[in-house]
Parts: sequence; C-alpha cells; structure tokens
Amino acid sequence: MRATQFSWREGRAWDRVSADDLRADLVLYFGSRQALDDGRRYDELRAMFPRAHLVGCSTGGQISGGDLTDDAVAATALSFDATRLRVACAPAQGSDCSRTCGRTIGRALADDGLAGVFVLSDGLTVNGSELVAGIMQEIGAAIPVSGGLAGDGAQFERTLVGADCAPGPGTVAAVGFYGRAVRIGHGSAGGWDEFGPRRSITRSQGNVLHELDGRPALDLYMRYLGEEAAKGLPGTALLFPLKVFDPDRPEHDIVRTVLSVDHDNGTMTFAGDLPQGWTAQLMRGSFDRLAQGAGDAARQAADGLNGSRGDKVAVLVSCIGRRLLMGQRTLDEIEAVGTEFGPDVAQIGFYSYGEISPHWQTGLSELHNQTMTVTTLAEAAG
Amino acid sequence: MITVHKLFGRQLAQARAADGTIDLDALGALVSQAYAESDEDRRRTDRSIALMVDELDQLNRHLERLVEERTAALRAREAELKAQNVRFDAALNNMTQALLMFDAEHRLLIANNRYLDMYKLTRDQIPPGSTLEHILECRRAAGTYFGDPKSFTDYLIPALAERKVITRFSELPDGRTMFILIQPLPDGGWISTHQDITERRRAEQQIAYMAQHDFLTNLPNRVLLRERLEQAVPALCEGEQLAVLYLDLDHFKTINDTLGHHFGDELLKAAALRLRSIVKACDTVARMGGDEFVVVQTGIRRMQQTTALAQRICEAMRQPFDLEGHTVVVEVSIGISLAPGDGQAPNDLLKNADIALYRAKAEGRSTFRFFEPDMDTRMKARHELAIALRHALTEGQFELHYQPLVALSDQRVTACEALLRWNHPVRGQIPPDTFIPIAEEIGIIAAIGEWVIGKACADAVRWPHDVKLAVNLSPIQVMNPNLVSVIVRALAVSGLPATRLEIEITESALLHHTDATLAALHRLRSLGVGISMDDFGTGYSSLSSLRSFPFNKIKIDRCFVQSLVDGDDSVAIIEAIAGLAKSLGMITTAEGVETLEQMNRVRALGCTEMQGYLISRPRPLNDLWPLFATECRRTGTAD
Repeated sequence: MRATQFSWREGRAWDRVSADDLRADLVLYFGSRQALDDGRRYDELRAMFPRAHLVGCSTGGQISGGDLTDDAVAATALSFDATRLRVACAPAQGSDCSRTCGRTIGRALADDGLAGVFVLSDGLTVNGSELVAGIMQEIGAAIPVSGGLAGDGAQFERTLVGADCAPGPGTVAAVGFYGRAVRIGHGSAGGWDEFGPRRSITRSQGNVLHELDGRPALDLYMRYLGEEAAKGLPGTALLFPLKVFDPDRPEHDIVRTVLSVDHDNGTMTFAGDLPQGWTAQLMRGSFDRLAQGAGDAARQAADGLNGSRGDKVAVLVSCIGRRLLMGQRTLDEIEAVGTEFGPDVAQIGFYSYGEISPHWQTGLSELHNQTMTVTTLAEAAG
Repeated sequence: MITVHKLFGRQLAQARAADGTIDLDALGALVSQAYAESDEDRRRTDRSIALMVDELDQLNRHLERLVEERTAALRAREAELKAQNVRFDAALNNMTQALLMFDAEHRLLIANNRYLDMYKLTRDQIPPGSTLEHILECRRAAGTYFGDPKSFTDYLIPALAERKVITRFSELPDGRTMFILIQPLPDGGWISTHQDITERRRAEQQIAYMAQHDFLTNLPNRVLLRERLEQAVPALCEGEQLAVLYLDLDHFKTINDTLGHHFGDELLKAAALRLRSIVKACDTVARMGGDEFVVVQTGIRRMQQTTALAQRICEAMRQPFDLEGHTVVVEVSIGISLAPGDGQAPNDLLKNADIALYRAKAEGRSTFRFFEPDMDTRMKARHELAIALRHALTEGQFELHYQPLVALSDQRVTACEALLRWNHPVRGQIPPDTFIPIAEEIGIIAAIGEWVIGKACADAVRWPHDVKLAVNLSPIQVMNPNLVSVIVRALAVSGLPATRLEIEITESALLHHTDATLAALHRLRSLGVGISMDDFGTGYSSLSSLRSFPFNKIKIDRCFVQSLVDGDDSVAIIEAIAGLAKSLGMITTAEGVETLEQMNRVRALGCTEMQGYLISRPRPLNDLWPLFATECRRTGTAD
C-alpha cells in the first residue's frame, strides 16, 4: 500500500502530489464545514484523482500528521496492491430511519472477502447506534466497522458527508475493504473519569433523554455547567459526557455525548441510545488522563499493523468534546497517538460528533462518544 | 539551555515566523488563551467538585433520612413482632394440644407448655436444639413413653423426607391415649401435635359397649349375639356343635302387669344373673328384649350336654325369686336349635330356636324342646290361624254353645255355661284350647271376651228365670281394669239381672292378684253377680286362694271326678272340698260327670251340682230349649 498526505489551505490551494499518487484508489479527506460547503474542494479533488473513490466529511478540526487545524482540508491518497474497494452512500433522513440507512449500506457492501468497513455519517440527524446495528445486521457482527460522525466545529448546525460526490447534509458514506491482504486495526479509549453519584435513567426514548432520577436531565446539566457555560449548550454539554450501562452488565459501559438540547421540553438528544432503566454517571476529563486514553487507543490499534508491508496509515477519529475541554492541550492527545506509532505511520483524522469502532472488550462494533478511536490501514507482506 | 513546558514549546513554534523571528503578539495571545483555558478548567473542576459534594451531601442526607425511616419502620415491626410473639406464645401455651416443632436438621425449635405437662417433663430437660430421640428418652425416664426412641426416630426421619403425614395412636404406660399428628413443613422442618383422646376413647368404647349390650341386664344384646354367632359357627370343628337356647319367662307379662314394671325389671336382672351363673364363662347369655333370653352353648360333642344345660336352666329358674318383699316363681320355656344341623346363619338358628320355644310353650311351658324340621310347618299353620282369628270376630265366625249345670238334688237345670266355638270357614270347628292361647298372644282376647259376655247375656235373658248364665273369664280378662264396666254394660244392654250371671275364674287368675283385681271382683259380687272358682284343685295353692276371696261356688276339676273309681285320694279330696264349701256356704259343682256311678258318688260325697256329658254335651243355643222344657232325668244315657 502506498499513502500520501496532502492538504488544502485557504489561499494556498492543494499541495502538489506525485503522478503515482494521482492514480490512487481512495482519497479520504476531512475539512471544515465552511471549506467543504460549496463543493469546490470536491471538484478539485475529482479533477486531481479521476479514478479514485473520494470519501470525506466536515469536522470539528482536522488532524494531519501531528498537527491540528480548523480551516484546512486534510487528505490522504491511498493506493492498494491487492485490496479491492467498494463505496456505498445512502441518505439518512432523521434518526428514526438510521437502522434502515445502516441496512442499505450493509446490503451494498456485504460480499465475499469483506474485511472491514470505514463509515462516515451525518453528525446531527443520525442515531449512530442504530446505524451501526443496521450495517452489522447485513454484514455480520464479525466484520469490524469503524469511522465516525461528521462535525461542525462547535456550532452543531450542519454536517456534511460525501462519497464520490460533493459532501452534503443527511448523508452516510462507507468504504468496504475486500481481500485477504488488507490489515485493519482498531483502538478506542476515553480516559474520562466518573464523578458524582450514579443516576438512574428514569425516562428516555431512544437517544432522547428526558429524566435522570425522576428530574429533568437538562436541569442537571445546566446546574453543572453554570450560568455562563449553559449559554454554550449543546456544545458545552460535551464537557460532561455520560457513562451509561445496563445495571445487570455494569462492566459493559458506553460513553454518550450530547448532540442537541430542547429547552422547551427539557430534553437532550445524545449521539446514541440511553435505554430507560440503565444507570448513568457524569464524567469529567483532565488533560493528562484524556491524552493517556488516546495513547491507549493507539496501542490497541497498533496490533493490526503486524506483518504489514509498505505504507501504514492511522485514521484518528476523536470527539469534539475532548477538544473543547482540552483547548490548546488537544495536541497532547495527538502527540500521544504519534508517540505510540512512531514516524512510520502516517496520521490523518478529525474531531467528530461520535466515533464508531469495535468495543475494546466485546469486539462488537458500536457508536462511542468522547473517545479517541484509531483505525489503522495497511496491506500484508507479499 | 532551559527546558520549556511542552505547551509553551508549541506556542513558541506557532508564534515563530518563516524567518525564524518570534511574533510576540501572537505568542502573548496563545499564552494568554492557555491561561484562560486553564482557569476555565480549574473553575469548572472546582464547580463540579462543589456541586458533587453538595449533591453527595444531599444524597447522604437523603440516605440518612431513609435509614432513619427504615430504622423506625424496623423498630415498629420489631415491636409488632414482639407483640405477635407474645400472642403466639399465649396461643401456643394455651392450646389443648401439645406441640413440638423441629427444624430441617430435626432439632427442636418449640415445645409448648402443654407438651411438658402432658409428658411430665421440665423445660430444662428439652431445650431448643434437642433431638426427638433425646426427648423420647426423657419421656421414657418420666414414665410417659414405653417405645424405643431410636427405632421410632429411624422410622420417622425417612418418612418425613418423603413428605408423608404421619398419624398414630399412642398408648401411654399410665393408660392415657394420645392421638399424634406429624406433618412436614415446607422448609424441611416438621411439626408434631398431640391430643389427649383418653376420654374420647373411653366414650367411644362405652358407646360401642352400649350398642352391643342390654342396658338393664348388662348382658350382650341381639347385635352382639348375632356377631358372636357369626364368629362361632364357622369356627366349629368337625363333629362339634353349637346350641342356641331361646328362652322366655312364662307368665312374665302377668307379673309385669300386676307387680309393676319396676318389679319386672328387677326380676329380669335377677333372672339374668341366675342364668349367667349357670352358664359356662365361655358361653354367651344374651337378652333379646322383653323376657326373652338366648344362651349360646359352644363346644358340644354330645346332645346330652345341651339337654343337661336346658334342665339346669329350668331347674334353676324354678327356684323362687325373693325380690322387694315378694316371692315369685317364674318358670322358663326353652327352644333349642343346634348348629350346624338346624342352620348356620344366626337368623336361621334364632328363628328355629324360637319355633322350638313356641312348641315348648304349647306343650305346657316350663320345659324345653329341640327344634324339629316339621315344627316350622306347624308354626306356619299357627301363624295362619292367628291371621284368620283376627277376622273371626268381625266376620261372625264365633258361636256360643252352652253346657247345662244341674242340681244333684232334683236334676233341675240351675245354669248353663257359655263355651266359645270358632267355625273356621275352611277348617271347620276349631277347639278353644287351640285358639284361645293364640288370641291371648295376639292381644284380641279382651275383645273376644267382651263379645262373649254380651252375646251370652243376650241369649240368657230369654231363658227361664231360674236358669243362670255361667261365663268363663281368662286371667287376662280378670286383670282388665274395664272388667266391671264391660259386664255392667252387657247386663244393661241385655236386660239380664245381675243375679242370673255367674262368672268363673281359675286359680291362676288369682295367682298374681292385685288389690284392683280383688276390688273388681267384690264390686261384681256386690252387684249380685256370682263368682265361681273354676277347675278347683289343679293349682298349687287352691286352698289359700279360697281364702283370698269369698266365692259363691267351687267347681271341682274333672280329673278328681274321673279318677273317683280308681283311687281313694280323689274321694278324700272331693269330700274335703265339699265339706269345706258347705261350711263356707258355697255351692260345689262336680265337673266332667259322665256316668251314673260318678253322679252317685259325687252326690254321696256332698257335692251340690254337677256338669258333664251324663247330662249334656255343650250344645247350640237353639238346642237348649228341650232341657229347659223337661226336667232332666237321670236316664242313664247322655243326651
């Protein structure tokens, strides 16, 4: 496999790439909503890479190499020696249809030799849990699904996704990797610490949370954020993700983060389900612990690179909540991942509204929030 | 070279321009932003910690409140439990039943006071945790258990494991009986309750005894008798027999009627005792009711054994009973059936013995008879006769014949004795000896007697005025309280003067006389009715009966007249009677005079009247007239 990273910056156009790279099979690109919204970046890429699948989305910040930018478009061109690809794209009209959308994607990709799926989804209108469940329903639980939900900085207004077309809202795109040569690794970790009492989810509907311990959940969040920060909702709610788990299976916990709030109804919409009767506990992060978590995720994913030859790529999908909390210290976690991989592994990625990866314990693919997830891509020797 | 903070290093790198110079404004902004972020993070941390502390404090208070509430609830529950325990304790220790409760390890949980009292134990002896075996050992030491504790426990524990409910009756060494119920409990333990049913058992036994024994004599009743027969007959060995002796007291009814029921009861009790004393202990004496008893003799090899027993009974019963100032003699008649020859079922044996008893009675009482198969036929005939007899009166089958009595001085007819005849539509004329006992037995003798007096008076009123009417009264009629009114009515209806009526009674009628009987006779006599002593000389106390009442006439029994020729005894007796009568102012009638010689002898011996075939057989009313028309002459031929 051959991988080349390049980028676009306001006023500087795209970096130059070699003629070999222009024959790449797949270009992954991540940019700010503002940079991608008019479709010109896609057209430029299409012109540059006539035979490549172009798959990208809007973000809450792009990771390229060891760097983090807000206004650039980060891209990587991948040329495979022995791996076939298939791209699928489907509209996602509202979170009620997320499972259907997932099944459409899954059906399109399900085929002999499918080794893994990388999925990018609209970050605001899709229930990520249902989407992943729909894909797995069609391709089977054994095939890893990773990726993330597109972002919109800290605005939470519009997110864009595209596969072989200009990125747009309400879209889910996925790439399937086929064949025995491809090596895909996964890692996912949070580094958040629980705090405060455990609370019971007393009223919820899918990914909409109404009450914790019989009281409006939004009130609790506003109290913790303080008057000033409450004005920044829903973005500021990312500072306090929720750890949720089935009281009967407390070891299988999931972190959930807020996508939107409804002040009129006192509800909060999360990026995944919060089943009624489950237990929830607030979490908070410290700079060091979050960076440590990112390192853990890289370490898990590094296993996937064993026995590979040629270039290696790590796709980092980290949560916008982590970035909001860490500020300038965000680079600490990108550095922590880089430290784990060393200079041989090229890094690209973005800050998302939700991460998709197999659970580190169960191995079942699902939606994560507030984590750093790492997907490594490479091809085997020979 | 100084080591800079990683962040500051990055800020320096970001602030460095392409030419390598540092943009201080940019660096300042970055540093300042980093401070702001750090401050914000600290504030956020402080705030969240404060909130968490507050929240945890609230939670803590909530939990404390909850603990207080629960503690209060627990205390209330504890108090309730205590009260419940007191009530439970009171209920447990005031039960009439004794109770033990064991846990699944077969260790004692509870023993109530009643248990301790019942089995003479103290609470210290059987503390909670005791095994059943230990408790039973304690009971054995206290003398309230005489089983083997270990073998009972070995039986009980596996039975309880199979969830069986066990009931048993336990007889205590001191004679008490306990009903024990042992039931497994759902938790693997078990409960044992003990009820003292000694009194109930006794009552049951008493009831069972009463159901099988005669209240008055304490002898087995017919129920037990039947049971014993049912057991004894099949148990007979080869060549062995069993005898059923059915006996009743002759004339018991008369005694009962005259001396009262209380006396009758005392007599029955005495008779029962006497019977019991004669019979072997292994033989049964039962009372069937009334004056009827049954003796079952077992182990008979020879019939002689039964004959001997029957004779012994007759002999023993013949001895006078001295009761409450009275001396009475009762005799028994006995009918005997033998098993297996005369039947094997109790009913057959009793019925056949009863038939034999009737036979014995018919043959003169105070005797015994073995059952013979043709007795049954005769009994049936007798039964049919009884049925026919009930209709005889209403269907006009009775008729009166009259036999004249004549004065020995002048052969003049002085009176005619009414004699009852029954013209059976099929069997023809049936003699009074045959049907009178049956009439007495079936209780229509009074009605027949009333008819006789009425009819006889109506007949006699048409006779010559100097011819009297003689009517026999049976002992039963004599004792009838209506006797006087029956006679007075007959006289009134017919118009026959009382002085023309003579009633004849036998000695036996006076044997058990009462004041009422004598008063009735005196009343009749005062009305002018003549009273004759009939069949004089055949009873046991003829002379003493003459003293008991002033008779008008003595009729000397035919047996004396008929043996006049053969023996001197009769001569002496007739002469003595006639002399006695003359001195007491009584008429003497010689009965059964059939020959001239007899007539001459009785006249010579002082008799004043005679009656017999020499003068006339009893004849129908219409055939009487010639006797009245012509003076009866001694012609030497009977009419």
